[in-house]
Amino acid sequence: MTDIDQWLETNTYHHGQFWDLKRLIETKESKGLTVSLCIPTLNEEKTIGKEVVILKSELVDRYPLLDEIAVIDSGSTDRTLEVARSFGADTYLSAEILPEWGTRRGKGENLWKAIYQLRGDIIVYVDADIKNIHPRFVYGLVAPLVYRPEVHYVKAFYDRPLADATGIRPSGGGRVTEILVRPLFSLFFPELTALIQPLSGEYAVRREVLERIPFPIGYGVETSHLIDVYFEWGLEAFAQTDLDRRVHRHQPTRDLGKMSFGILHTFLTRLRARGILPGLPELTPILRQFQFHDGKYEQVIHELREEERPPMIEVPEYRDRRGLAPEQD
Amino acid sequence: MNEITAEAPSEPIQDLPRRLEGYREMLLANLVMAGEIPAPTFQEQARVEFVKQRFVECGLEQVSSDAAGNGLGLLRGRTGSRAILLHAHADTPFPETLPHTLNVEPGRVVGPGVADNALGVAALITLPTLLEHLDIRLDNDLVFMASVRSLGRGNLEGLRAFLVTTQLPILAGISIEGVPLGRMDYVSQATVGAEITCRVDPDHPVEAGAIPALNQVLTQLRAMELPAESHTRLVLGSVAGGTSYKSPALSATLRFQLRGDADPVVEGITEQIVAICDAVARSTGVRVAFDVIARTRAGGLPDDHPLVVRTRRILEALQIEPLPPTHSSAASVFLERQIPSITLGVSFGAHRGEPSEYVEIPPMLKGMAQLIGVLKAVDGGCCDRH
Repeated sequence: MTDIDQWLETNTYHHGQFWDLKRLIETKESKGLTVSLCIPTLNEEKTIGKEVVILKSELVDRYPLLDEIAVIDSGSTDRTLEVARSFGADTYLSAEILPEWGTRRGKGENLWKAIYQLRGDIIVYVDADIKNIHPRFVYGLVAPLVYRPEVHYVKAFYDRPLADATGIRPSGGGRVTEILVRPLFSLFFPELTALIQPLSGEYAVRREVLERIPFPIGYGVETSHLIDVYFEWGLEAFAQTDLDRRVHRHQPTRDLGKMSFGILHTFLTRLRARGILPGLPELTPILRQFQFHDGKYEQVIHELREEERPPMIEVPEYRDRRGLAPEQD
Repeated sequence: MNEITAEAPSEPIQDLPRRLEGYREMLLANLVMAGEIPAPTFQEQARVEFVKQRFVECGLEQVSSDAAGNGLGLLRGRTGSRAILLHAHADTPFPETLPHTLNVEPGRVVGPGVADNALGVAALITLPTLLEHLDIRLDNDLVFMASVRSLGRGNLEGLRAFLVTTQLPILAGISIEGVPLGRMDYVSQATVGAEITCRVDPDHPVEAGAIPALNQVLTQLRAMELPAESHTRLVLGSVAGGTSYKSPALSATLRFQLRGDADPVVEGITEQIVAICDAVARSTGVRVAFDVIARTRAGGLPDDHPLVVRTRRILEALQIEPLPPTHSSAASVFLERQIPSITLGVSFGAHRGEPSEYVEIPPMLKGMAQLIGVLKAVDGGCCDRH
């Protein structure tokens, strides 16, 4: 077993270690690497403009770390795409990428289609709801991949205050991590507990890893990534970077319930597929929550299907686009 | 080299906003990154450090902080015989504890301090890049300064300290404020900003508390006759006091500014106000303290000064409507050193001083073009003859 303490020592960074962007870009260029940023969106008009402005100006124009910035949208009904485009991002509708594969609704779908659409050797995913966006959210994640070829997957972690109507709390967030994911990892994959925020929506990954792992389209995408990468490449493939504070929207407990359901669904499916829990029955896609309404309790039924997209390397259109030989049956 | 002047309406300065279009995102990014660093007066260091980092990235020389804490950078001119000071105050009226999140919306940027003065700072740190990319080289040195301790009790100490200590022969000063575009302030009024605090003496408690005493002060201030011929005005800015609705306030404070065109008049009225405070203290038994926050002296440039005339022409060439000049406290500080100066705004905005403060994005490039035009005019000699 890899020593978690040793891994924490060698593979956990603070973004401040990568302040020298000139050196980072020189190294990136000397290695011939290209980097794409993917921002998955659904109705993010309030925050997308700032995110594109900051990242394009700082990491495309001033320090050319990023070779492209792409917003991949699930079908926003607000001005998300218009705003992103007006500040210089490439914008795509998820449904128009690989249309022959149909459309699924979920963040994982956008992340998966980004592998097909974007050109970079490294893809960095950054959520669109970060209120205090800063270039560190990108270079802090990309830098370990640029400097260390043995690292394949870099996760963000934060001191995450929650913004709400009453202002900012000094600590908090990560409730689903602490109540669900870390206990599950402790039981089944203790080494993965070393990832301080396994559900963070910001990570940078090498294409050769991304194209070889399946993508749940819903809440389970981050959890499944960690398990799949861990099984294939080991804990040594991971690194994590402290990005300091991330100000984001506060999610109601009921939404966290849906999130936990999706994660648990994916987790158990992974255990079954890897023979860890072989006798597991078929899992229902139905989440039941309850609310008090008109003097009585009533059920609220959510159907949450955690569908998965296959590894992109198995998609013929992708192989064709990347100039790879067709897969042999 | 490109010649950018404003001698006649057909000159190329009109094309400048279009040529700056590629730099809009840089300006916005600088605005957000500077504006999200809290910088209450006397605690501007983090924002100044960011400014200095930007100065280094732009290739400015002698990037440093002076003894006052101002952030400085130097762009050498071809002759370097004199220097033009371009400055924006780095401080804001918002406390560090307030979330300084700025939002970029399709046509505007919203958040505390974005107009006063994050946009001014953003313009300051974007300008070196614009000058380089437009291939504009000045004859005179250009000193970029993010000044500290400007607002309220700061009393423009940062700017004042720099002008007192610098060895550079400053030819002119250009002060950059976020809003409004079209302002061209080159006169300073005589002002006294002050705070009157009524405080109950714990050894001699007064049953009614401090608020009735402050009310007496307020009543007498409002009854004062202010000479209209010197445009003297009393601005009652804020009142605060007490901690509960059911207990008499132990202290109550009024902040105000007295302003007018004539120093002796303002001085005389200030003495009257001090006398009112003394009288109220005697009649109520409450301690009444009068404390000056900031002062400026009357003066400035005449309307026909070449800097004023040229600036007006530049604004008109850019189809920016010049606003009537209003009081500029920075002008007073420059005046103390006999340095001509002008204060310019970069864009339009509103809700200044509120968390909902905003600036408009579309006018910003005209604002930047105007700054470049005025810099060129000063460098071209419009401040030489006076």
